[in-house]
Amino acid sequence: MNVAVIGCGTMGHLHAATASECGLKIVACGDKYKHNAKVLAEKYGAVASDDSMAVIADPEIDIVVICSPTPTHSGYAIAAAEAGKHIFCEKPFARTVQQCKETMRAARKAKVKLFVAHVVRYFHEYEGMRAQILAGKVGKPGFVKMYRGGLFPLGTDEWFRDYEQSGGVTLDSMVHDIDWLRYTFGNAERVYCQALRRSDPEFVDYSMATFKLKNGVIAKIIGSWAAPGGFHTEVEVCGDKGMLEFNSLETPISTMKRRAPGEQPGTIVPDSPVPKSPYRLEWEDFLAWLYNTRLPRVTPHDATAAVKMALAALDSAETGRPIRL
Amino acid sequence: MAKIGIMSFAHMHAHSYAACLAQLPDIELAAVWDDNRARGKEAAAQHGAPFVADMKEFLALDTGGVIVTSENARHRKMVEAAAAAGKWVLCEKPLAPDVADCKAIISACRKAKVGLGTAFPVRFSEPVKAVRGMLMSGEYGEMYAASCTNNGQFPGGWFAEPKLSGGGATMDHTVHVADALRWMTGREFTRVYCENGTCLHGDTAVDDVGSLHLEMEGGILISHTASWNRPKSYPTWGDVTMEIVCEKGVIRIDVFNQKIRVYNDDSVKAEWAYWGGNPDLALIQDFVAAVDMRRDPAVSGTDGLKAVEVTVAAYKSAKSGRKIKVG
Repeated sequence: MNVAVIGCGTMGHLHAATASECGLKIVACGDKYKHNAKVLAEKYGAVASDDSMAVIADPEIDIVVICSPTPTHSGYAIAAAEAGKHIFCEKPFARTVQQCKETMRAARKAKVKLFVAHVVRYFHEYEGMRAQILAGKVGKPGFVKMYRGGLFPLGTDEWFRDYEQSGGVTLDSMVHDIDWLRYTFGNAERVYCQALRRSDPEFVDYSMATFKLKNGVIAKIIGSWAAPGGFHTEVEVCGDKGMLEFNSLETPISTMKRRAPGEQPGTIVPDSPVPKSPYRLEWEDFLAWLYNTRLPRVTPHDATAAVKMALAALDSAETGRPIRL
Repeated sequence: MAKIGIMSFAHMHAHSYAACLAQLPDIELAAVWDDNRARGKEAAAQHGAPFVADMKEFLALDTGGVIVTSENARHRKMVEAAAAAGKWVLCEKPLAPDVADCKAIISACRKAKVGLGTAFPVRFSEPVKAVRGMLMSGEYGEMYAASCTNNGQFPGGWFAEPKLSGGGATMDHTVHVADALRWMTGREFTRVYCENGTCLHGDTAVDDVGSLHLEMEGGILISHTASWNRPKSYPTWGDVTMEIVCEKGVIRIDVFNQKIRVYNDDSVKAEWAYWGGNPDLALIQDFVAAVDMRRDPAVSGTDGLKAVEVTVAAYKSAKSGRKIKVG
């Protein structure tokens, strides 16, 4: 199967590498900036283009991987569907719920497969926690706290800094935790959220949301694009019989590079190697669906629900009111 | 020798305060009074102090100050009696479950010209003092937001009886952090939204999880979790934590993370032994000094009231589903 990657930033590179590991051929790379497309295309002997729509239309392509800025997802995905290509789309699914719905409709009509890369569902630690919860180790869950924090991401043209495009940390990053929350504990009834969305004098975003779930669980999700240092995540789940805690900073390996005298000391870099990366696992899941062996762990309906919840959180942050879901 | 009395051992912190008094030189736990005779007698014996069954008799003793550690709803009556008897008062937090009671407590002490303190030991924690210094120094620039927790184990007993406690985890575990934030920032709270419920202890009449979203003067955004979500098997009683996001960096504080992990086959569960400075001891030291010097304790009754105003607004919000103005 031949793959085209649209949007050749960090995630484009990562998904190209993973798809290639899975035995797929990267044949074309599209990016608004030809240089970006070229850098990635050269790695795989693929064609580079600054006309992504033309790349998508190429009859040689079987799978379109969409890693462009969020508001452009649906345009590319719908074009891919109409051209009869399967779609692997980076999260968040789209910038609006309407775009999610239009994309799903186009995929259904064209009978192509549409996968949204909610990779946290494939992280070993998150699967491990879910297994503990399903095994009843915490009893009946009543409270969940999730944290995801790191640097303010850069991205081409610094598009993450345009909250209208990226939705800030709430839509772009917390959507991971929101999806896992819904996947593990069910649907939400309402949300209240406070988000910083500062652009002056500093680009920092920090978002704090409380989701009240239909089953009574109270969940607090904190997302940070304010950390000057490394990325990390935390999870806490409390039930009537126990609780579990996870912190990604607790790793089997941590390294610190020796610096020359007078240089600033290096930071400690944690590492936690696993047999198969979660990106590899999500690709295998997607491919198993393409080969008609089984349904994937994430459906477009799930991805739409996550966008809906994240946008409701943003709406709450804007209005200062709880938003009913 | 300064003499201090304790009124009621309903709140478990009374035991810690009694132990602190025993550690201080020239201080004596002079007497214990308790409206629960058996509890008072037992605690008095445990701490080597006489038990006085009659409150009038207890307040007639030559003590300079008393520590009130009764059920939340009974603070007012006891503080009023102590103040009328001319005693300096250190009152357990929350000062009272509602604003009117807090105001009555403050005015009774003012009228009697006695000092009144609210027991907020978090202000005496060395890590909290250090972080306050960082914020005050301006090194981190403007403060934008903070995400905080005060989690604990389910205390049961009167804490779960609304008439005595005035509320659950939101009542019990909001005031420490609310007070610490006021003290660290020099700002007041303006608004609060709260989602709370009985999420973990189904047969309980009060909330055991509170998720609060607060605003402070200057537009500082605060998330706070006030809970009794730590299971019996948890290695310690709970926590006080904050992640503070500022213009020039982020400060994380886990107030009691000065711990030794202890594994003992007799207790089976893992335990954390705390080795940091004892904030309760510093709190009691300040109170004793206040009694001695006839001054107000460092953390006033008004500070106690301000924290309760946040809690009361949080309950109003949880009930109405709307954001509520504080105070």
